[in-house]
Amino acid sequence: MASSWITPPTRTELIEDLVSGVDRYNPSNVSILEDYLYHQIRSEEYDCLANLAILKLYQFNPDLYNPDVVINILLKALTASPLPDFNLCIALLDERPINTSLDEPDPLPQLLPVLNGLHDLLYRCRFPTFWKTYRSDELESLRDNYTVEVVGFENAVRAVAVRAVKAAFTRISAERLGSYLDLNGPDLEAYLNDLGWAIERSNSVVVIPPNPDNQIEATVVQESIKLPQLAKIISHSALKA
Amino acid sequence: MAQQRMAIWAAEADLDEDVDLSLAIGNYGQNDHYEDSPIPQPQIDESTLIAMQQHMAQQAAFSQIPDVVKGFIVHFHQAVLENNLAEITVAYESGWNKYTEKFYSRTEWPEAELIAPLVNDDPIFLILYRELYYRHVYSRLQPNIDDRFHSYENSCELFNYLLNSEGPVQLELPEQWLWDIIDEFIYQYQVFCTWRSKVKSKTDDELQMLAEGGPVWSSYSVLNVLYSLMQKSKINEYIVAQREGKSPEEIAEIVGEYGQRPLYRMLGYFSIIGLLRVHVLLGDYTLALKVMENVELNQKSPFTRVTACHVATYYYVGFCYIMLRRYPDAIRTYVTILNFIMRMRQYHTRSYQYDQISKTADRMYALFAVCHALSPSRLDDNIANTAKERYGEQYAKMIRGGEEALPAYEELFLYACPKFITANPPPYDNPIAMNALLSPTSPLESPTSAQPSSTDAAHRHLSLFLADVAAQAPVPTLRSFLKLYTSLGAKKLASFLDADEEEMVQEMMVVKQASRSVSRAGTEGTGLLDGQTITTSDLNFVIDENMVHIVESTVGRRYAGWFIKNTERTQKIFDDLRSMPLPTPPKSAVAAHTAPAAVADVQKGTRTGGQKVAWGGVKVA
Repeated sequence: MASSWITPPTRTELIEDLVSGVDRYNPSNVSILEDYLYHQIRSEEYDCLANLAILKLYQFNPDLYNPDVVINILLKALTASPLPDFNLCIALLDERPINTSLDEPDPLPQLLPVLNGLHDLLYRCRFPTFWKTYRSDELESLRDNYTVEVVGFENAVRAVAVRAVKAAFTRISAERLGSYLDLNGPDLEAYLNDLGWAIERSNSVVVIPPNPDNQIEATVVQESIKLPQLAKIISHSALKA
Repeated sequence: MAQQRMAIWAAEADLDEDVDLSLAIGNYGQNDHYEDSPIPQPQIDESTLIAMQQHMAQQAAFSQIPDVVKGFIVHFHQAVLENNLAEITVAYESGWNKYTEKFYSRTEWPEAELIAPLVNDDPIFLILYRELYYRHVYSRLQPNIDDRFHSYENSCELFNYLLNSEGPVQLELPEQWLWDIIDEFIYQYQVFCTWRSKVKSKTDDELQMLAEGGPVWSSYSVLNVLYSLMQKSKINEYIVAQREGKSPEEIAEIVGEYGQRPLYRMLGYFSIIGLLRVHVLLGDYTLALKVMENVELNQKSPFTRVTACHVATYYYVGFCYIMLRRYPDAIRTYVTILNFIMRMRQYHTRSYQYDQISKTADRMYALFAVCHALSPSRLDDNIANTAKERYGEQYAKMIRGGEEALPAYEELFLYACPKFITANPPPYDNPIAMNALLSPTSPLESPTSAQPSSTDAAHRHLSLFLADVAAQAPVPTLRSFLKLYTSLGAKKLASFLDADEEEMVQEMMVVKQASRSVSRAGTEGTGLLDGQTITTSDLNFVIDENMVHIVESTVGRRYAGWFIKNTERTQKIFDDLRSMPLPTPPKSAVAAHTAPAAVADVQKGTRTGGQKVAWGGVKVA
């Protein structure tokens, strides 16, 4: 994982201490981490390890469990695809006994299959289907109650698509790309403009700038011998001399 | 920007070829066997006799204990009192197992209270004795709820003594035993959690005890012990100081009075590995790798002397990588340790731990096969062939893809995965919720609740893994088509596959995604979580609007490693020969020329060294 994933530059010292120290097990710190999650949601930041620390506290202290926090964590993790963040979060959600202490019915059991489905579509690069599902009537409550609060959620999904397209294409038709991004016309143009991707006017094809993944060349890997590998042999001969 | 990604096969395999096995592997007491020792008479003094008379009832039981066992316990106690590591090791690794086989293969060892008079009621020895006593119950017999609770209490007493005495305790124990203490502690925690989660088979007494059990085997208390040992011993500081090449004096200063003692240092290190394991059992893979932050995975550190610990470390680290979708890293991890196990096999086939190690190795071969199917690589043909031999049928299904692939993945995963646990008990302390759980469930719910909850944890993790695998399902087929072309229209490819063109293009992005992975290759020396994106497939492609362009990379044959290895080997043989003492020349040879004597020298040396040198024979011919 890139180091910015392990330690995002936006993580404060206080959070770093909680994530890396034993204080992460202290239930009284959960509100600090939850506040940090809501900060991430408002300011388009993301810190997977800090969010996993919340789920860890929930795992050990079922009475702390707050379904809204869990759903927000999952929404943030969703757009980290193809990194495994979403699965890492799910892995920490133990089977929990029917929770009687909540005032309202727990929305998570209902939403979990929906979120799982959305994750599956993103991980399998089924972007047009993702948008169709996401915009469907069935998911209205998810949109109205949750994703609307996650600032930049839709753009974060587009970023997933952009990552996949960048790796696989050198050129892609604007129509196809539009269906992946759920954008068209001036919106699409503005979005591509921000990315710095150019559209060829003549045939409306988008040119993807070269990057390590969409530049292919046939290579023959030759072995390279480094000095340390020969150290033993050379030192042995030197002793003899 | 446009340079190529580093490819997995271009990275050097980080296999330590020349591990000094005599150093890296502990001695499992194969050479020393515990001899029966008579009871040293002075040990049973007058006060002991009085104490025994006071317990007439116990006496009968006491007299049941064979004399050799009494002698063994007295002797064992003496060795512990004297901190005589060699004697403790023999008693622990050989004596205990010997008498277990002979007298206690199907029953408990005598209760600690019963043998207390033999050891002058030494509380520390009795704690250690109980540690062995309960371990024996867990491994050979069925522990009942009292055993489970008492073994927990005994572990707490032991750790309390180690952590909360005034200053570091003077006790010394063999490294193997220290590892077994930590290993067993976590094992008992794991079986307790599994047992606890099965609500339906409990008697009323058991329900009562579980309701009032409080912190017994709670995750917090287990983590607490491990973190405390880690912090008390300053093991992380020790490892960092070692790596920075600090002098022994500086290190002693850094680690303090606890960390200087081998007992605490080893317990500290084993606790890190213990935490790795606990976090994996609870499904927290990132935290598991994070606690390993300072530990360098290599086979040269003195911490690898306890083979069981060494093997467990790699097993759990590799598993974390699988769940992080870092299959190349998992492969590298397993290749390293499986090679190690292969090389040490000749030394250890009779060790009492060999069974356990070879079972773990089997599971790692299964996981290797899984990773190899998901991310084919050519890192080590030897291991790959063994894995294919053992799991050939499943491997063939996995690599072929299609309908039969998923069940094969499932089979190997369930066979080889850790024994996952659920962190929290069922609500034993909440009568209402318990009644709801225990009462006959409505027909609607029964299919789910019929499944024993112990497998639930494993199945939850299985389904996450299988979802990842299923997403990759179209990859093998697409790759096999792409291999045949250098460029191909998307429409044509879709028609081959009898698929919708747009769907197929989206699947191509999955193929691309599956041939990239985060990996530690090239970033060695940093934490286990670190890594960079690398290419994992030799097949690369790019889509230009509707045209797929394909290239394949090839690897030139590698010779250097072979030559380096054999040159080093030859040099070593040469050195061995040179350092051998000159044989006393036979009488006839005294008068002979010097040259034939030298030949005799070489041949003699060859024989005593036990090395087979081909040219030795050629010379004669």
